[in-house]
Amino acid sequence: MDSEDDMLDAESVDDFYSGDTATDSDNDDGADYEFMGNDSDDSDDIAVSRQQKNYTVLEEAEIRRHQEDDITTVSTVLSIPEVAASILLRHYHWSVSNVHEAWFADEDRVRKDVGLLEKPVVEYSNARELRELTCGICFETYPLDRINTAACGHPFCSACWTGYISTSINDGPGCLMLRCPDPSCGAAVGQDMVNMLASDEDKEKYSRYLLRSYIEDNRKTKWCPAPGCEYAVEFVVGSGSYDVTCLCSYGFCWNCTEEAHRPVDCGTVAKWILKNSAESENMNWILANSKPCPKCKRPIEKNQGCMHITCTPPCKFEFCWLCLGAWLDHGERTGGFYACNRYEAAKQEGVYDEAERRREMAKNSLERYTHYYERWATNQSSRQKALADLQQMQNVHLEKLSDKQSQPESQLKFIIEAWLQIVECRRVLKWTYAYGFYLPEHEQAKRQFFEYLQGEAEAGLERLHQCAEKDLQTYLSADGPSNDFNDFRTKLAGLTSVTRNYFENLVRALENGLSDVNSQGACSKTTSSNSVGGGSKGKGGRGRGAPRSGGPSRNSDDSSGWSCDQCTYLNVGSPTECQMCHQRRQNT
Amino acid sequence: MQASRARLFKEYKEVQREKVVDPDIQLVCDDSNIFKWTALIKGPSETPYEGGVFQLAFSVPEQYPLQPPQVRFLTKIFHPNVHFKTGEICLDILKNAWSPAWTLQSVCRAIIALMAHPEPDSPLNCDSGNLLRSGDIRGFQSMARMYTRLAAMPKKG
Repeated sequence: MDSEDDMLDAESVDDFYSGDTATDSDNDDGADYEFMGNDSDDSDDIAVSRQQKNYTVLEEAEIRRHQEDDITTVSTVLSIPEVAASILLRHYHWSVSNVHEAWFADEDRVRKDVGLLEKPVVEYSNARELRELTCGICFETYPLDRINTAACGHPFCSACWTGYISTSINDGPGCLMLRCPDPSCGAAVGQDMVNMLASDEDKEKYSRYLLRSYIEDNRKTKWCPAPGCEYAVEFVVGSGSYDVTCLCSYGFCWNCTEEAHRPVDCGTVAKWILKNSAESENMNWILANSKPCPKCKRPIEKNQGCMHITCTPPCKFEFCWLCLGAWLDHGERTGGFYACNRYEAAKQEGVYDEAERRREMAKNSLERYTHYYERWATNQSSRQKALADLQQMQNVHLEKLSDKQSQPESQLKFIIEAWLQIVECRRVLKWTYAYGFYLPEHEQAKRQFFEYLQGEAEAGLERLHQCAEKDLQTYLSADGPSNDFNDFRTKLAGLTSVTRNYFENLVRALENGLSDVNSQGACSKTTSSNSVGGGSKGKGGRGRGAPRSGGPSRNSDDSSGWSCDQCTYLNVGSPTECQMCHQRRQNT
Repeated sequence: MQASRARLFKEYKEVQREKVVDPDIQLVCDDSNIFKWTALIKGPSETPYEGGVFQLAFSVPEQYPLQPPQVRFLTKIFHPNVHFKTGEICLDILKNAWSPAWTLQSVCRAIIALMAHPEPDSPLNCDSGNLLRSGDIRGFQSMARMYTRLAAMPKKG
């Protein structure tokens, strides 16, 4: 019975690996070879080229250029001034196609909505009006050269215009939608008038709002949320993963602008972050005011009524508020329904220390959360540390190492590569804990599989981290070139590539909801940990007497591949050498 | 400061002239402070406010007319967009839709228009707003009428 389950479970693990990894390794073979053999100069690009790029990072100059290009296009196509084109584009969220569509469908309506008049609504004819006009704001009369008007012709003096525009600019980005001060008039006031009438400081602010609007009102672009970063990211909507990496090296999710969080989806991340921020405050209140249901652990506040508590569906557990025992055991035997003498008796004997007990109960329900949160946070800080180490490596150690080992820096990029991978892995690992927290308790099979994958990921990453940190120290502190430096290169580069593959598979598996488990999940409930323990991927319980004596040597079943001693990669094709790290096969 | 004073002075002179033109509005500038005004407006006809005379208090900011004046009812009024206790008015042109081309006179006209056409969907006086929104026109009118009689009409001997 047990062994059958083992087998099925092992197979599901197998499927997961052989399926994805096999195809993947085919594609990556070439790249890895190149990477392994002689470090190519552009190893930076490898990380980038592995995922297809569906976004562009824009610097301010490029943003301005894009914006000007769009404005010129609209201005040319519609034969309107550039200022009008700019106002029009802003109104249509900077979508050139939407502008064209609306304009050619009903030009008059668009003109009216946006406030682009074709001719003035106020005309002056009598002789006095041709010499001087009364400002509509200060009601003073001025000669014509001190009067300005928007396209509508409503006259206001320069001083009042300046005040009007300045007030609007200092009120915020709404100044981009500025209209003629006359309440009945909707004529748009564009950048030309602002530049003519506003102070330099206000002009600068206006131009900044205009630039920001191009990013913020545009559905295809967003600012990089990293503090102090001034780049924007243009994203091809509807094209795969939302994870983007800005030029400032900050990785974030384009959809929710939280930090990059694959394999977890945006909704879960929002929930998790909310929980993290709310939990600490709530914890005290919960501890002080509630008891968790003895069965489902949800906190319950008793605000009135008797001691007979029925938890809300689906739990519906009935229990006694005083002793937290099942209500079934209560009644005549325990001294009546409303005064639990089990509790009273125990209290007299001093068994219940009320406060301690309450704390204990609340802790149970929070323990689970704390478990995941701590690991989430630890990986977070590990990642920060790794980032700092990476920086240190790039700025200080690399040069030193290059001198010590007489290796050109260009050939040491595999170290940077390794550190970049560590940073990325820490990020993924961090989010797997949020994933784990929200993985339903009752999906036993999935949980077990998930925890196994997570454990393996952690172990693999530790190996890589160890190699990149500790092993490297030897070479850093060596007196001269070490003979085995090339071996180190092979090992670290191999570990990097293996770990990368593992994590990519992990992310994919978690993103599709561990669907491999669904088909076979039901029967792997009784799986004991021995079938998933150890470094070799689910090779053990194939039935038919494959050696199960433990140790790495049990990987001799050639028909379904063998796993490498060094990197644990499950090889399917190559019989003598590991496809991943090129280590010769041992124990055959 | 100087600009707002000059503009208010213009309005002051205009008001002296227009008094006859608009019999529903009587704007008075404070004797000692040109930034404080009061107005008496007549409740529009065919509304529960008909026959009442309502007093408004204006407090004009130094940035006027770039910033709107603050206006509130001194006379108690039962209206969805007027705070029953403070007399504060919820009217777009006194907030974000303000334009420097408006004058104190035109603000009064806008308030009279608001009295005739309440906006129950953004109520400052929820009881009043709810009566209108639930369709109890009669209930609303009798309440408004009662308060007009109590507060906005001269006491009869």
